[in-house]
Order: sequence, then C-alpha cells, then structure tokens
Amino acid sequence: MESWIEFGRGSLFRFAFVLMILGLGRLVVLTVAGLWEVWRDMPDRRLPWADIRRNTAGWLFPVGRLWRRRPVYSTVSFAFHVGLLVVPLTLAAHLLLWKRTVGAAWPAIPQPLANWLTVLAIATGAALFVMRAAHAPTRALSRAQDMLWPLLLIVPFSTGFLCSNAVLSPPAYRTLMLLHIYAGDLILLLIPFTKIAHCVLAPFSQLVGAMSWKLAPGAGDRVAATLGYAEQPTWIAGSRVAGSGARKEA
Amino acid sequence: MPLVEITPANQKQEDGPPPSFEPGRGLPLASPADKEQAFANSKKPEVLERQHLPVRFHVEDHAVADRPRRFLEAFAAILKHSNYRLALEHYIRVSAKCSRCAVECQVYMATGEKRDIPCYRSELLLSVYRRHFTISGVLRARLFGDPGLTDEKIQEMADAFYNCTACRRCTMECPVGIDHGLITHLGRYILSEIGIVPRALAVSVREQLAGATGNTSAVPVPALLDSLEFLSDDMQEQTGVEIPFPIDQKGAEYLFLAPVSDFLMEADTLMGIAAVFRATGDPWTIGTGYFDAINYGLFYNDQILEKVVRKIQAEAERLEVRKLLIGECGHASRTAKYFYATFCGGEHALPAVNILEYTHAAWKSGRLKLKPGTIAERVTYHDPCNLARPGWIVEQPRELLRAFCSDFVEMTPNGREGICCGGGGGTVSIDEVKPFRMLVGGRAKADQIRATGAKYCVAPCANCKKQLRELVEAHGIDCQIVGLHDLLYKAIQFEDQPRSPRGELD
Repeated sequence: MESWIEFGRGSLFRFAFVLMILGLGRLVVLTVAGLWEVWRDMPDRRLPWADIRRNTAGWLFPVGRLWRRRPVYSTVSFAFHVGLLVVPLTLAAHLLLWKRTVGAAWPAIPQPLANWLTVLAIATGAALFVMRAAHAPTRALSRAQDMLWPLLLIVPFSTGFLCSNAVLSPPAYRTLMLLHIYAGDLILLLIPFTKIAHCVLAPFSQLVGAMSWKLAPGAGDRVAATLGYAEQPTWIAGSRVAGSGARKEA
Repeated sequence: MPLVEITPANQKQEDGPPPSFEPGRGLPLASPADKEQAFANSKKPEVLERQHLPVRFHVEDHAVADRPRRFLEAFAAILKHSNYRLALEHYIRVSAKCSRCAVECQVYMATGEKRDIPCYRSELLLSVYRRHFTISGVLRARLFGDPGLTDEKIQEMADAFYNCTACRRCTMECPVGIDHGLITHLGRYILSEIGIVPRALAVSVREQLAGATGNTSAVPVPALLDSLEFLSDDMQEQTGVEIPFPIDQKGAEYLFLAPVSDFLMEADTLMGIAAVFRATGDPWTIGTGYFDAINYGLFYNDQILEKVVRKIQAEAERLEVRKLLIGECGHASRTAKYFYATFCGGEHALPAVNILEYTHAAWKSGRLKLKPGTIAERVTYHDPCNLARPGWIVEQPRELLRAFCSDFVEMTPNGREGICCGGGGGTVSIDEVKPFRMLVGGRAKADQIRATGAKYCVAPCANCKKQLRELVEAHGIDCQIVGLHDLLYKAIQFEDQPRSPRGELD
C-alpha cells in the first residue's frame, strides 16, 4: 500500500497536475482565440466595458450579490468555494507536495484555521448536495456530474481531516490516505473536462456574452445562400415548404 | 375572459404610498385551471396533423419531413457564418445548472415547472450543439448509441423559445454569466430557417420587406400624412401653438422612426414628442420613404434584422440626417443603438438616440420647461427590458416624471432588474398566445402594477403598452397604461403659448 500511496502523491499527482494545467490552458487559449476571431471582424468594437468589468469582478467576489437570490444556497456555495481553494493550496502538509511538484512553496495557514476551513468545506459540500437533491427545480436540471461533484470533492477533505486529527490504526490511516490522494488526483484529472473548468473560464463569460451580440454583417444572407435559399428568404410565403432549398454551398 | 378577481390589494391606498411596492410576497403559482387555459392549444386538429407542431402559436405550412436533418443543416450554416459558436462553446463548458436563474423568470414564477427554468430551456439547444457539433459529443453518441436530435425535441424547442420573452433578467443573476436571451435568439433563428416562426411575426415582416407599404402595419404614406396633419391641427386647437410634424426635411438633425402602430394608435405619444421638438426647436423629420422602427429580426432572424436596419440606413442617407431618433419602443431602440453600427459602418455610423434620452437632455439643459405637479394622480413606471436591462435608460424617464408628477411611485424590483411585461420578444403580437401572456407571462407584472395602486403606469414601449393594457383589463386593475410623452405633453410650457395643453387621455 505504501508504494501505491507514493505513486499517488508522486508520479500520478504530477501527471494529474500537468494534465490539469495543460487542459485548462487549452481551454483558455481556445476561448481567447475565439474572442480574437470575433474581435478581428467586428465593425463596431464598442463594448459595455464598465458592465463587463463590474459583473466579472462581482461574480468572482460575489459577497455583495449572495443575498439577492436564493441567499442560503448562494452563501453555502460561496463558503464551499473558499474552503476548496484555500485548504488544498495552503495547508502545511500540502506545501511539501507543492514544493516537490512545482518547485515553489508559500506560507501555510495555521493548522487550526485549516481544520475549520476543512470542516466548512465538508459541511457546505454536503449541504450543496442535499440542497440540489431537495430543491425540485435544481434537481430537475441536474446532470450526473452536478450531483457527483460535491460528493467527490468532500472525499479528500473528509479523509484528510481524519488523517490529520483522528487517532487511527496504521492500516486505517493508510487506507484513508490512499483514498485522500487518489480522490485528489481524480479531481485534478477531471477538472478540465467537466463544469469545474469554470474555475478559469468564468472570468471570460461577460465578455463572451457581450461579444456574441456583435452579429456578423452579411451572415444572414450567407446562411440563406448556404442553405440554398438565396432567392427564397424566410419572409416570403411558402419559402420553407417541401421542395424548397437545394442545400448547396455558397 | 375573467382571469382573476380584483382583490383588496387592488384598491387604491388612501394613507399615502410607501416609497416602493413589492409584488405580493410568495406570489402563488398559477392555478391548475389557469395553467390549463394558458397552455391550451386552439389549433384545428387537421393543422396539428399536417404540421406536426403542437405549439400554441400559428405557423405557416413548412416542410415537415426530415425536420431534424434540416434543423442541423441550418444550425451548421449559422455556425459557419456567424459568431454564435463562441458563446455555445463557452456555455457548454461553464454551465453549472445551479437554477439560480429560475427565480428571475416571470414564466417560472407562475408555473414552477422545470421546462420554464431558463437554464433548462437553454440546455435544449446547448445539448444539440454538444451532441452534433463537438467531437466529444459525437464520440459519446457512438459509444452510448445516442440517436441525436429528434422531431420531438424540435417541437419542445419551438414551444420553449416562444415561452421565453428574451428579457434577459435571468442573465443578470447567472454566476457563470450565461446569456439565456442570446440562446433564445439563436434557437428562434435556427427554427425560422426551417419555417417555424409565428405567423403573426412572419406576416408583418413580409409586408415590411416585400409588401407595397414597406412597414409592419401596412400603413400607406397618405394615411400617415393625414394622421399627422390631424394631430397637428388637434395640438394647435389644444395649445394655441403651431406644432408641426416635419416631413422629408433634408439635412435635418434627426430622422424620427416610431413603431409604426404609434402613427395610428398612439396619438398622445406622438403629440408629446412633436411638442418637445416644438419647444427645443431642433430640426427633425419623418421620412415618407421609411418610417417604421419595428425590427422583428431581433426576435427571430439575423437576416431580417440586417435587412430592416438597412432600410433605415437608406432613408437616413436619402434625407442626409445626422442622427437616428427612435420613438417610445424598447426593441426598436435597442436594434438601432446596438445593431445599426454593426451593419452600417461600424463606429462611424450614425448615432441612434431614444426619444427619452433626447427629451431628458432637453429638460436638463433648460430648453424644455415642464410644469411641476401637472399630474396629481399616482404614477408608476414600467421599465422596458430592452431599454433598462443594459442600464441604458433607467434614471432619465424617472427624473422627467418626477419633474411634473406629484405622486410618482416605483414598482419593486425595477430598473435594470425590472420584471418583463410578459409580452416581450415579439410574443405580444401573437394574439393566439394571449391567455399565456395574461395568466403566466404577465402574472408577476400584473401583481406589481396592482400593488402600486397607480392611476397611470408609464410604459415607453409599443409592445409593453399593448401587453400591459390587455393585462390590466384581464386582471381587473384600475390603471391606465400610457407613454411617457402622453403625460409630458400636458406639462410642457411653451414660451409663446397662450394656454396650457388640455385634452384627456383616451
């Protein structure tokens, strides 16, 4: 088991971490390239920059917005995010790992604070799952990943908390540590391929929305021509009855 | 049609108003009977059989066979030539499905049903994109045998995207920034390319782009001129001042375009606007070549959106004007302000101004004098989504109203967070969905208006006005829906005016 643990926090961790970085980097590059493509051809480059800045910052640090709608759910979600971000990056025990992997370290938060933040993450993660399951509209919307993510994220926090604070037999400790490490690695591996990619993409959302309303001049005519309707625009009666359109390239 | 009973809350409060009014706390969901009436389908069985489309709005006959393939072809063509892929790619990656948007939607407020959650509605289209236009979607379909887009899903989208008014209120509360209004717009655009578009909208656009009159209400130029001459005479009689409607004045500062129905049905609004220009003396003109600000392209088709904007461009160039001035209309103003530059010269295109901005600026500069306290009855203000949601026109009309109304009260929420009238996105023009607009889409707004106890509700938008008039009648609310310039006309003071404007609002 020791070798599995060492593999999990050694090679596998480095692989998962690098894959996450590359995966998220790819998404950022694709998004920036998409924005550039639209920007390049935009005849009117005026954008509501003040709104874009305010809403982007407002949702990255949503303290002032939490109470407006679904306050309990929103506050719990925010607290969950705080725990998720702070503990893995600043726990003293993790800093060794970070130093070994990325070659750098930074000050650790005090252990008691780390413990409280861990409890906060576990409690809010469980609450998010319960609220998602119990709130009919949210449950109806949820995909499998929406239900599973809070549970998966709780695993490394709860196992890590037990390993740090509980009196455990060596086999129990090793089992929990194995679970802790492999759950952490799995999370890193999944991040770029699931909705958790919003950790790097959300800051682009307001800009993406604003630029998407900058329609492409002449696009409507080109669409009609591509569909074979250049001479039969949508506003002509009977233009979309059977037999119309030739589905040809413009 | 008895829709709701008048409740005590509808009675005017005699003790003076609190500063603002919230819609009834915990506004109950529409009753099952109301929902049944709202979602009832009045189509003839043979039409349903022929069109395979159980939506409540009427649609002209179109090719039904192989509809999923044709939908996907239209989707692919739009992706190829437009900018929508940027948003779709982004939204399928970040969508968190938190349902925070649900509490924002006036339709969901009334039905409480999954299908009316903005995120659920958007997912209908996002899932098609993910399945058919991404590598992972295609691979997953191969692995798990997903058959892909079905005709049933197209039917569901046709229904869902016309239950949404694209008011974009939900967008303001989406933590990951999904613009559901954009998705509704795109969904409707694709549907229109395969022939699924409300007949009411299609017929209006046909007249506008291919008809003899060239406008959505088929108003011939002689009728327009007669109407304006009559209004001019009426104003002279009321005020003692000559207040003209300049026609085809080359080189004027402003080309005025109103939602064309205003020229027939909103005499008070037009008189107020003309009176403002009489007071400021700025050169403006109405063009007989083109005078309709309505652009239903914004609601369902980008090709139409551009064609209509180019009609405005042609008239502006013919008359050599320097600015576009749009009357009291939300979607028309948004179209001119945000899309004229896109299609007609970029940042150097003519600027578009909404009449509320113009009037406000004239009043602020002292060129327009308003008599304080002219309107003593309680007045409230409805924010048209297309004006207020981007934060463009929020305070200007309020400052104007406070200048001449002694009892102005707000609805809550208002401004950028204002609730849609329930007739946005072109749905107000679809008569057959009126029960839906009254019992579901407009339910929250009716509650807001009732709670104010206002005598007048100012709604500076042709679509909002029509919806709200029907709404107050259906809900038995004693409130008159008017344009801002309808009331302002009564308060204008001309320097050479022998007497004040009179005339009761109809």
